[in-house]
Amino acid sequence: MGREPFEAVMTAHHAEIYRYLRRLTFRSAEAEDLSQETFLRAFRAYRALPPDANVRAWLFAIATNLFRNSLRAAKRRRAAYDGVRGRGREDDGDGPDGVAQFNEARVAVEAVIDVLPAKQRAAFVMRKVHELPYDEIAKSLHCSVDAARAPVFQAFRKIRHSLEDAQLPSAEGSA
Amino acid sequence: MSPSVTSCRAIQPDLVATATGDAVPGAEARVQEHVAACRECRDELDRYRSIDRIVGEIRRAPVVSDRADIARGDLEWRLAELKRRAVTARVWNSPLGPILIARSDQGVALVEYMDSARGIEASRVLRRAGIEVLEDGTETEAFYQQLLEYLSGERTRLAWPLDYRFAGSDFQREVLQATAALPYGAVVSYARLAREIGKPTATRAVAQALRRNPLPIVVPCHRVIGGTGALTGYAGDKLSLKERLLSLEGVPVVRARRDPRISRDSMYVVADHDREYCVPTCGSLSTLPLWRLTLFGSRDRAESAGLAPCTSCRPDLHPISA
Repeated sequence: MGREPFEAVMTAHHAEIYRYLRRLTFRSAEAEDLSQETFLRAFRAYRALPPDANVRAWLFAIATNLFRNSLRAAKRRRAAYDGVRGRGREDDGDGPDGVAQFNEARVAVEAVIDVLPAKQRAAFVMRKVHELPYDEIAKSLHCSVDAARAPVFQAFRKIRHSLEDAQLPSAEGSA
Repeated sequence: MSPSVTSCRAIQPDLVATATGDAVPGAEARVQEHVAACRECRDELDRYRSIDRIVGEIRRAPVVSDRADIARGDLEWRLAELKRRAVTARVWNSPLGPILIARSDQGVALVEYMDSARGIEASRVLRRAGIEVLEDGTETEAFYQQLLEYLSGERTRLAWPLDYRFAGSDFQREVLQATAALPYGAVVSYARLAREIGKPTATRAVAQALRRNPLPIVVPCHRVIGGTGALTGYAGDKLSLKERLLSLEGVPVVRARRDPRISRDSMYVVADHDREYCVPTCGSLSTLPLWRLTLFGSRDRAESAGLAPCTSCRPDLHPISA
């Protein structure tokens, strides 16, 4: 088997997948669980992966699936508690929050990203933070390439509409 | 010309894509044409560019990754645990029909005769075991090649690392380990094996333990027979395979009243733990019960097992006449 050992895959991609999940989830414990589950699943399926597959995109797809499944499960659980609102992102020093203090607009943007619906959040973070190509995002979301563009567009629109014009310096002004 | 509301709305996806570096071919030109005539959308384009820059900052922000390291450490531990428990398996074709070979990181854990060449999910043992099974032949292919050599008679030993995890009990494990020590071309009775492991009354339990041998061929339970010399049983209903494996090793099998049995009269004999083998007519050997004997199909096999010819009868000079 000419494929690189799975340990090398972990070394190359674990930090990034963890970071991706950390941005999608609200608690670092959840990101830890989901990133572990992502790689355990990947390990089981790794032997069957075609040799020319894009391993990075494949890991993102597994992580995205697990994230969306966990969200569905959480929704069911939340329905049982009913009406618990105002879930806040836990500040464990892991996020860029400390640095963000300096930048009101950035804090605002991150706050919007945090409350995007799951599919938009996953698509947006994959595209804009991890810079995955749309065809790979489409695989993660089980949709067409065109359909993968839509949630990213919607996410930008939401960010735009949640910000006051004053929070957005013009392109010339801030360059 | 002032663009209509609809066209402003229609240009939105292209406008956002252009501002954020995601424009499809042609979109940018459409946007430029539109904003040249529409101040509102031009401002909008600038705002989206600002948002994209903020997002770029988020992307480039350094991530404190101590938590990621903790997650990574836990993951490595769980992966090691998974690998320790898991087996990889594949079903191979052989002259004896489809055979599944499974191995763990400790060694070959399972050799299973399959009723069909379907995948590993048809394995009764693996299904019952409830463990992680990864379908993969790369780690068992070398064993499979050796097995083919063995079944063609080119090889007389399968020196495989073994993992007895599918032994149901310590007792079964003990029986399997004693069986694994039986030399090529030799046969003993279940009763003899029971004595070998220090449980002379456990003949039936020994037979049961071998009936569920998770490692047939490499743990050669086919070399263990009934007290009358009858082959008795093998891997459920596969008595003909036992006959085949014994014949391959040069053990003479005859059919008496349709039941296959070894031909004791044409086999060389070792009593108890003697270091010498002899013809079956030597001294009192012909009167000894089977549980005291190890039988060999040929002198070569006996000598390969480290035995010397009996110095009185000299079976090396006077072999059993065919």
